[in-house]
Amino acid sequence: MRFEVSIDCIVYFAQNKPNTWITKGLLSALLGAVLLCVGLEAQAPELFADVSARAAQARDAGNVLQAMDLYKQATQLKPDWQEGWWNLGMLAYGANQYPVAIGAFTHLLQIVPTAMPAMALRGLCEFETAAYDDALRDLEQAVAHGAASDPRNEQILRFHLGQLLTRAGRYRDALDQYEVFARHQVESSDLYAAIGMAGMQNAHLLSELAAQDRAVYEAAGRAAYPLLADDSTESSHRFAELFARYPATPNLHFFYGFLLFPHEAMDLTIDQLQREVAIAPGNHLAYAYLAFALMIASRYADAERVLASAPQANVDQDIAQVVLGRSLAENGKAERGEELLKQVLERNPDNMEAHLGLVAIYSHEGRREDARRERLACLHLEK
Amino acid sequence: MRVVNGWLACIWRSSVLLFAVLAAMPVAAQRAKGAAAVTCATCHAGVVSSYAQAPMRHAIEPDGANPQLATHPDLKATIGGYSYSVQTKDGKTTYSVSDGANTITLPVHYFFGQKTQTWVLEKDGHLYEGMVSYFPRINGLDITPGDQVITPHTLEEAMGRKLPIWESRKCFECHGSGIEPGVPLEPAKIKPGLECEHCHVGAQQHMEDAAKDNFKTLPPSLKKLDSESLSNFCGQCHRSWENVVRNRWHGIAFVRFQPYRMALSRCFTGNDARIGCVACHDPHKPLVQDQKFYDSKCLACHGEQAHSVASMEKAPLPMMKTCPVAKENCVSCHMPKVELPGGHALFTDHFIRIVKPGEAYQY
Repeated sequence: MRFEVSIDCIVYFAQNKPNTWITKGLLSALLGAVLLCVGLEAQAPELFADVSARAAQARDAGNVLQAMDLYKQATQLKPDWQEGWWNLGMLAYGANQYPVAIGAFTHLLQIVPTAMPAMALRGLCEFETAAYDDALRDLEQAVAHGAASDPRNEQILRFHLGQLLTRAGRYRDALDQYEVFARHQVESSDLYAAIGMAGMQNAHLLSELAAQDRAVYEAAGRAAYPLLADDSTESSHRFAELFARYPATPNLHFFYGFLLFPHEAMDLTIDQLQREVAIAPGNHLAYAYLAFALMIASRYADAERVLASAPQANVDQDIAQVVLGRSLAENGKAERGEELLKQVLERNPDNMEAHLGLVAIYSHEGRREDARRERLACLHLEK
Repeated sequence: MRVVNGWLACIWRSSVLLFAVLAAMPVAAQRAKGAAAVTCATCHAGVVSSYAQAPMRHAIEPDGANPQLATHPDLKATIGGYSYSVQTKDGKTTYSVSDGANTITLPVHYFFGQKTQTWVLEKDGHLYEGMVSYFPRINGLDITPGDQVITPHTLEEAMGRKLPIWESRKCFECHGSGIEPGVPLEPAKIKPGLECEHCHVGAQQHMEDAAKDNFKTLPPSLKKLDSESLSNFCGQCHRSWENVVRNRWHGIAFVRFQPYRMALSRCFTGNDARIGCVACHDPHKPLVQDQKFYDSKCLACHGEQAHSVASMEKAPLPMMKTCPVAKENCVSCHMPKVELPGGHALFTDHFIRIVKPGEAYQY
């Protein structure tokens, strides 16, 4: 492109301003520049071949810094060289030069946006440079697109992703990452502590955990670990020991209740959440989950009572409103209940529980077509 | 909880008063005679007598009194390279599995089901669902429904599927009586089958109070529930619409969850008692197998106004279209029987609809 522009300039000046001193001088300068460019362009393939070969040799010889320098030169000579960016990124990652690695992987991803291994490695580098939001974005996308399907990478990717999800307050998603370790029977004290942090909803990284707090998180993770691998009996024993050892520690009963929640064990879940709110009356999330569990168990009056007694600040608006709407409706205040559930759907049309609540209201009232419409919405959503 | 209709509530209130007066009589008589402890049958003899034969009463057959195995004392099958044997002698049943080299033999204490039977086994403190079950239709053993996807790698895995605590709890909750909320499951303490208290919460207290002429502590009436609430109530075990949708359960295996299937029907609406579970089924009696029995239930909505129950009321309930094809054996067309894969049984699909020829299973 630069070459073509230069020729155009020379032609323009030669044709339109042939005798001015400035034209003569400019023409000379431009001609020189063009000749230089032509020379470099002519040399470039040979130069690139030479530099890239020396880069590979340096890398193979273990001369990391030299290899990185040569890969940098080679990628300047040939910016679309995918292998070069990849090798530069890998070498920089291995040498803990994370900003360099991020730059290299970013170049590669600009050329090949679907290069998930590059995205995964960039995520790990971003983690190391404390760019946690970027790291979460990259690692989540990379894992979602199969970067963790290679057993060599799976553990490091999932462990970092799990921590980032915990930090972001996405505890259930974090536990899903750790579940893979439990299923593969991979154990470590760090893993236990990380599981404990996700379960006890401590939105920090493992490295940020205070040393004196580590024991309880590790113990909690150790109790949950068998449950993540489907050994609920062993887990129940370990949780019983945990509760005996830490009878007044907040979030432990919440953790167990949270793990039991998806398994149709509502009375067990409710029991654990009730214990949690007794220990930690300020745990707004425990109130929200308890009310929700009571609603699922059709204990609407109890659900309403729990919501009324919950600390108001920070209660999840949608969960609380769904529970309140459904409970009011089931306790005879259908109009207000419907209003609340519809408000939830205005904010989030895909809220399944709000649709289920409307199904119940319309069915109780004999509004056959409305109920049917909401049932179909549920069936659509669940797919 | 919702009242079905004003007139029904009036009838109900009258019934309660009448019941209280009548109920006091046998209790007082029993006490006057210094007879044995009062039971539900003291006052509700007819219901208790018929309920003794009802399937829910036999949701778990008692250890040592299992008619199905008493008549099939030597069951054997070889499946997937493993030999299974279920032996019953002198009222004691054992379940064995062998790979040719080794054998696991366990006593059976928990017999789930009256006709088709699955056994929950106990080994080393864990509960397992037996890998094989008894199916009357083949008069023998086969893989327990749902476990066909399992490929056992060890003899223990071939023996049965290890049950998570919530699943074993749910099994015993729905098939037995006496599980207390928040208390860890102790299978040995579970009473087999569904006792009155299972559905009629507070029955025990009512019985104790009734013995002292106190009839103020009646269990909450299930008759007061409208069809939607009743569907959810029965659906606690038979699986409600919400239950299935929340769990994202799809496919033909879930045809056996009647309240869920019923809710898919266009004719289902929660405030009409004519479509509620008990409109067709009396839980205190054995299931009626004669399809014609159900015609009157369908015609209560799809018949002529004059023939419907609603016509007796001041505000008649709305009537639906009548069937242009037939006036009998309605369920044979509109609630077709579905073969449950691997279940060796036909289930009546409670999704009431006009079934098109060759249509695929829906949802």
